[in-house]
Amino acid sequence: MLSALIAGLATGALYAAAALVYNVMFSTSKVLSVTTGHTAMLGGVFGAWFMQAFGLPVPVALLGSIGVGALFGLLTDFVAIRRVLSRSDEHLWLLSTLALATMVQQAIALWWGTEPKPFPRVIAQDFGAGLLDQKYWLPVIVAIALAVGLELFYRRTLYGKLFVAMSEDIFAARARGIPTDRIRMLSYVMAGAMGGLAGFAAGQLTFAYFALGLTLTLNGFIALAVGGLGSNLGALVGGAALGILSSIATYYVGGEFQQTISVGLLMVVLLLKPEGLFGTRNVRPV
Amino acid sequence: MCGRCEREQIEMKRLLTVIVVAAALITLPFWAGDQYQLHIAALIGAYWVLIAGLNLVVGFSGQLSVGHVGLLAIGAYAFAIIAGTHGIDPWLALAASGGIGALCGFLLGLPSLRLPGFYFAMATLAFALIVTELVLAFEGLTGGGVGLSVPSFPAPFDTSEGNYWLILGMAALVTWLTWNVARLMWGRGLIAVRDSVVTAQAVGVPVLHAKLAAFVFSGLTAGLGGALFAVIQSYITPDTFLFELGMFFFVCIIIGGRGSIIGPFLGTVVLTALPELSAPLAKLGNFFYGLLLLLVVLLLPEGIGRLFQIVLERLRPRRVESVPIAPQPERLAAAIKVGQR
Repeated sequence: MLSALIAGLATGALYAAAALVYNVMFSTSKVLSVTTGHTAMLGGVFGAWFMQAFGLPVPVALLGSIGVGALFGLLTDFVAIRRVLSRSDEHLWLLSTLALATMVQQAIALWWGTEPKPFPRVIAQDFGAGLLDQKYWLPVIVAIALAVGLELFYRRTLYGKLFVAMSEDIFAARARGIPTDRIRMLSYVMAGAMGGLAGFAAGQLTFAYFALGLTLTLNGFIALAVGGLGSNLGALVGGAALGILSSIATYYVGGEFQQTISVGLLMVVLLLKPEGLFGTRNVRPV
Repeated sequence: MCGRCEREQIEMKRLLTVIVVAAALITLPFWAGDQYQLHIAALIGAYWVLIAGLNLVVGFSGQLSVGHVGLLAIGAYAFAIIAGTHGIDPWLALAASGGIGALCGFLLGLPSLRLPGFYFAMATLAFALIVTELVLAFEGLTGGGVGLSVPSFPAPFDTSEGNYWLILGMAALVTWLTWNVARLMWGRGLIAVRDSVVTAQAVGVPVLHAKLAAFVFSGLTAGLGGALFAVIQSYITPDTFLFELGMFFFVCIIIGGRGSIIGPFLGTVVLTALPELSAPLAKLGNFFYGLLLLLVVLLLPEGIGRLFQIVLERLRPRRVESVPIAPQPERLAAAIKVGQR
């Protein structure tokens, strides 16, 4: 029971990190990108590759993972967002990010293989540590650090305030002389770096696995919708709730119904409180 | 030449094209090179039964459902269980799998069609994953990972030619149905919902009702398509219904062009046949579909069909009749007189 709780918390922390990545991209562009989970997948795969193929030390590999994630964020903005946002048609971004995510996933599957590969140890620790193993607490620490860091970034720095301004009203922000395109690009790079870091930290839990991206996109979104779109606290709470719920359900019912239960949670929350636990209510478009 | 005769001539031409295409499709088993090509043609037909219905949802009402592979799996398993395990008449089983598909479409659509775009896409994605999960969970019913063998239809549809003709007939029926929906009031209403929900509401389109009706219809065709697909495959496992297949249906429609029927049809034919014809493309698989989707979204959001239109207009510019607008004071005076009287 305790082991199920702890494993659930660790997976939930990864979902929470994905939800934070969603939040950062959403704040400046109002886009929920399908590539969210794939940034973390890239972080895990490239982290494992850097350490195993080149024998790089952990800090260098970590920086490499973050860099790959940031590059992918930049690519997402360049390829899938920039041109599409300038059109008036809604939801085209859904198609373009879906296309990019599919391409990346298939490319990694062809290059890296479709089997999950083990992720090397990040910190020297005995394998007999049981529930205190680093694979359980690393993702939790990283998710909390990301959330706290984001909050500080939004409240204490000028760039953070620009993000907040753009999420409030993008036209007003542009009228005030904010270079909205550049800030959006920055937010995508930041989101990619966060995803790469989270994927690296959770590597030992998830293994370096190409199909992680889509699962994480879906579960991170569920965590986000449960916690409330745009809220960082909500992302943490939603992710933890989702992870713990699905691992307890697996403990009692068996692993066959994991996805069903997490979607059930999403449906219940959307029916009772459509804006999520910590979200703000949407205004009707008329 | 008068305008009416010209229109009649165009209609004659169109009818002739339809007859030629229909004849070519009906006689396909006689001129197809080998059994494999016939198999591909049958596969395209089964896909098209699903995609024709999905087109009303994705192409017309603009609801981006990526999870129709779940409904396809439900139809396929329903057919395999009813006709195979219980040995009930395959025609009844075909009807039942359509009905079950429609029911599941209703159950999925009722909550999820109320959600905004991205939420809806994620709900359908989750649905596809849930179906795979449940298929594996209820091993006694579905055979789990081992799978189920699927019976074929009774004679004369038990040969590959007979099966092809059956699928062709179904595909023609479904196409006719969707065409009727698309060109009449329903189709206009769905397009209005796609382009602006608020405007559609304002002019009295029952938004949720219209979306739900289209979605249930797509569930019906997905169930039928699933049954036909299962018969073609003759053995189904959960691995047959990967999420990527759902992506494929979706990409066929977007690439073909939203809001038309012929576009998605060509998309289905080309995208099914291309990987079969060239091995490197088959290896790339989803990468290729993703690339195509990205290119179409960035360069031609209206779909490949638009490209043909542009080229056609270049080659044969549409004649625009110039109607001179000159003042006609005597008619104006007469009209004023009538008004004063």
